[in-house]
Amino acid sequence: MQELEKMLLELKDTSELMIDLAYSSLLYNNNEIAEEVMLLEAMMDEKGDEIQEMVMEEASQGGDIMRSIVVLRLQMAMEEIADAAASIADVVIRGIPQHPVLQLSLRDSDVVICRAIVLPGSDLVGKTLGEVKLSSISGMFAIAIKRGKKYIFGPDKNTRIEEGDVIIARGPEEGEEYFVDLASGKERLDE
Amino acid sequence: MKDADEIPFIDLSVREILTEMKDTSEVMVDLAYAALMFDSEDIAHEVSELEEKMDNLNYAIKIKALLAARTREDAIQLSGLLQVAAAAEAISNAAGDLVKLQSVDIERRPFLSFMLRESEETIRMTTLSENSDMVNHTIDELAVEAETGMRIIAIRRRQRWIYDPEPETKLKARDTLIVRGTKDGYERLTEFTSGRKPWPFEEV
Repeated sequence: MQELEKMLLELKDTSELMIDLAYSSLLYNNNEIAEEVMLLEAMMDEKGDEIQEMVMEEASQGGDIMRSIVVLRLQMAMEEIADAAASIADVVIRGIPQHPVLQLSLRDSDVVICRAIVLPGSDLVGKTLGEVKLSSISGMFAIAIKRGKKYIFGPDKNTRIEEGDVIIARGPEEGEEYFVDLASGKERLDE
Repeated sequence: MKDADEIPFIDLSVREILTEMKDTSEVMVDLAYAALMFDSEDIAHEVSELEEKMDNLNYAIKIKALLAARTREDAIQLSGLLQVAAAAEAISNAAGDLVKLQSVDIERRPFLSFMLRESEETIRMTTLSENSDMVNHTIDELAVEAETGMRIIAIRRRQRWIYDPEPETKLKARDTLIVRGTKDGYERLTEFTSGRKPWPFEEV
């Protein structure tokens, strides 16, 4: 894949993570998560500018104009999504007292956000997310891990799970119980 | 500006509308990427229709929120809620912008599908074999997403499409499922859709 395409892909993944993080900041009324959304938004802007420059450069050097337009539009749509996420996080950062309906609505959603604490003795301890394949066995996709006072946002397949981690994940309601039980050690991984 | 009569009446509570807006906006983004990856005019069209639905929901929630505000505290709380609704609408607009790229001749955007395939969570397609024991079960009975991590965002059944299928939707042999999730999840799902592996039904 070319550099430009890799950058676009990163924007796509980031914009999706931002939406999940934004809703979770709202659900837990959590400033740190909301601040991370803002940081990612600034990063999206910077990368977006870079992409725009690169693509105009390509076009001016006799590149395919249509390709440039497609890239630009794609980048702008992803930025729209990122801006929307920032606007959700802004509700938390402003400290607007939350309407009770907001949380109820989020919980009613087809896509729920939940968290689970990894207790000693859980099968997850010491394994990477890639090894556990958390998403394909429970439907729950990890979007952040709180370790001690710090957060790991957008953990990847190489992120190793430790005892005491709080995993924030997004997925179907039916996956929540198994995920929480897996983290507590009540459920074991199938071999 | 629309006349008051032209704004469709939506008989849902604020809570229901907001949930609907969140869910619709998310499925729209998935469908938009699916339309680009599979070069589907049908899916692109559905996204445009949903965009209109989102417009109406956003109108409805604003009106309901304004009617509900009685005190300054109410108004402050509801402003936060409306900001979230507006964000969901903005996401749906972004999805609408994405699908407009579908009309660009596919030869002029060859890198697009290729690139989108490499995404962390991506859209894929799988056809249900007659031998799969997912056949004749509802999505809810199977809890497809909890079991595999793959969310069914659309089903192609003969000439017909079912978008964002309901939990009660029963899967049929030869259905083509458009799904979203990780690569691992897709591999797991295709073991079942192909009939190579039995579905892990809970023992009763």
